[in-house]
Amino acid sequence: LLGYFKNLASGTAQIDEVELQKVVNQTRDHLISKNVASDVAEDICVGIEQSLKGTRISNFSSVAAAVKDALKDQIEQILTPKRRINILRDIEAAKRAKKPYVITMVGVNGVGKSTNLAKIAFWLARNGHRIMIAAGDTFRSGAIEQLRTHTMNLCQNFEDEDIVALYDQGYEKDAANVARDAIQQARREERTVVLVDTAGRMQDNEPLMRALAKLVQMNQPDLILFVGEALVGNEAVDQLVKFNQALGNLSSSQEPRLIDGIVLTKFDTIDDKVGAAISMTHITGQPVIFVGVGQRYSDLRKLNTTAVVESLMR
Amino acid sequence: MVLGDLGKRLQGALRGLGQSGEVDDEAINAMLKELGNALIQSDVNIKLVVQLKKRVLKKIQAGDATAGANKKRLAQKAVFEELTALLDPGKEPFKPVKGRPNVIMFVGLQGAGKTTTCTKVAYHYARKKWKSCLVCADTFRAGAFDQLKQNAAKARIPFYGSYSESDPVVIAREGVERFKKEGYEIIIVDTSGRHMQEAALFEEMLQLNNAVNPDNIIFVMDGTIGQAAELQAAAFKAKVDVGGVIITKLDGHAKGGGALSAVAATHAPITFIGVGEHMTELEAFDAQRFVGKLLGMGDMRGLMEK
Ligand SMILES: Nc1nc2c(ncn2[C@@H]2O[C@H](COP(=O)(O)OP(=O)(O)OP(=O)(O)O)[C@@H](O)[C@H]2O)c(=O)[nH]1
Ligand SMILES: Nc1nc2c(ncn2[C@@H]2O[C@H](COP(=O)(O)OP(=O)(O)OP(=O)(O)O)[C@@H](O)[C@H]2O)c(=O)[nH]1
Ligand SMILES: [Mg+2]
Ligand SMILES: [Mg+2]
Repeated sequence: LLGYFKNLASGTAQIDEVELQKVVNQTRDHLISKNVASDVAEDICVGIEQSLKGTRISNFSSVAAAVKDALKDQIEQILTPKRRINILRDIEAAKRAKKPYVITMVGVNGVGKSTNLAKIAFWLARNGHRIMIAAGDTFRSGAIEQLRTHTMNLCQNFEDEDIVALYDQGYEKDAANVARDAIQQARREERTVVLVDTAGRMQDNEPLMRALAKLVQMNQPDLILFVGEALVGNEAVDQLVKFNQALGNLSSSQEPRLIDGIVLTKFDTIDDKVGAAISMTHITGQPVIFVGVGQRYSDLRKLNTTAVVESLMR
Repeated sequence: MVLGDLGKRLQGALRGLGQSGEVDDEAINAMLKELGNALIQSDVNIKLVVQLKKRVLKKIQAGDATAGANKKRLAQKAVFEELTALLDPGKEPFKPVKGRPNVIMFVGLQGAGKTTTCTKVAYHYARKKWKSCLVCADTFRAGAFDQLKQNAAKARIPFYGSYSESDPVVIAREGVERFKKEGYEIIIVDTSGRHMQEAALFEEMLQLNNAVNPDNIIFVMDGTIGQAAELQAAAFKAKVDVGGVIITKLDGHAKGGGALSAVAATHAPITFIGVGEHMTELEAFDAQRFVGKLLGMGDMRGLMEK
């Protein structure tokens, strides 16, 4: 009883663990309904519980409010990149070393690799770069014509009618070689950036994952971008884990290259179900470098962390 | 197997009932919890999961009142029925009729697998000696016509499309009319990817619908989709009369639960699933058989009749 009065006096009380458990469970369901992968939602909830257990909260604030604050902290932390990638600066550095800067887009089928590659080309061209696109998807019907159309459309936006060029060797060729030869061609044409498109592949498809590891090892791109769609649910976790594993394990290199960053596409199709952004960054610890918000070339954005947090808290 | 992980967990949850000897409330609760977790981790819509758990519990409790009921069997049956209900809207899928044109329009989100699946379905019917053909009414996506053309050529399926016409409605109308005149039986119309947030794209879908007056509309959904599935599926259904669902990319690891939730939203049956990028990687789908397999209960039909 004495303790009780002491608490009143100081205006705080030990947080009620039963209540905490209840609110945390609700939070987990809430996160899942926002399309956070369930394992990731679980991790976040464990984090919240750990940060609040045994703490004292003001008599005037509720457990729910404390959990909400802790959640916000957790999410902001997950979304804040530990490493900043500055592509324009890195391209300048490559330029000084007289090498084209090579970006490779990887990911599962139909997520938006080729389209967002074209958007990135548009952005780079607007920043004065001359670009080579490597048609590394030599499998899917129409993949090369898709890139050719983009190349033509992109060039129409600029005075330099050759600002974006396509390098292809036709279908059914080895993508690793296509990328290699495209990089060489880019050097000859003094292009500053090579964007390598790759075929979509399921993360469990070993032969295709092996081929991707080979492409990466042979060409040592400066930036490996994993393209994932904001629509994806729990698969986000498995996709990222297995793409990284494949790049790591199927490479014969001592220091294999892994995913450097994420392109989060179709962000315009999910309303406030923004959870995939959390899942992908939590799993990789890598930043979302671009967000695709539509099908036009200008529909490429930086991740708005505040907006994501707000959507998630709603 | 498709949804293999889910199957294993569901079977585990039901087996858990048996191990505890007598099936008490605690065992039922544990089973329901595991059932819920397994479904949520497979991307089944969280609201649907809550409903499903409630219904299963109700059925077990109701059955329990009857003396001598085997509680474990009761639980198994309830889970089976509710999962089947989730997957089976109780509507017969569209059946094309021989000797007359059957126009089937494919719709769906961007990159879901429409174009690939169009060819697979056309090929499926062609092999069964139907006169099938393809119409490319996607003038938006770069390379869309080439993609369909190359697929159709590989499958030896006649196709219609245009590089110069930019109005998909015109192409769809012309293509369908021509193939109808030529006596084709399965006329498949491929359309651009679209999403509910862009009204103009949905309006275009309605115009396409009005132009070709399809006998069936297939909603193609990516098997890896998460909690946004229901939202989008319901919006498509609200705009056009979706009569069937095809879930793609169920090869490999995909969990498919999000897409399964689309069935509840569209009240349309799943007719096929896509299990690979190649032309032949399409499987017919039957909800009851599927759930039976999922739960490791081969002959659930027998159980149902008792
Ligand atoms: N709404 C929306 N659609 C997008 C976005 N990014 C890409 N898309 C669409 O998604 C579809 C698939 O895009 P692609 O670029 O072909 O995807 P991909 O990953 O290259 O596909 P594969 O090479 O077949 O594996 C196309 O219809 C694109 O227009 C986006 O940010 N928003
Ligand atoms: N692994 C696998 N890939 C598939 C399956 N179905 C389609 N794909 C792939 O998914 C990607 C997108 O397929 P498309 O057929 O172009 O999708 P779409 O819906 O027509 O795309 P848009 O026209 O841009 O909206 C391609 O790389 C296909 O090869 C499947 O069942 N399994
Ligand atoms: Mg592509
Ligand atoms: Mg298509």
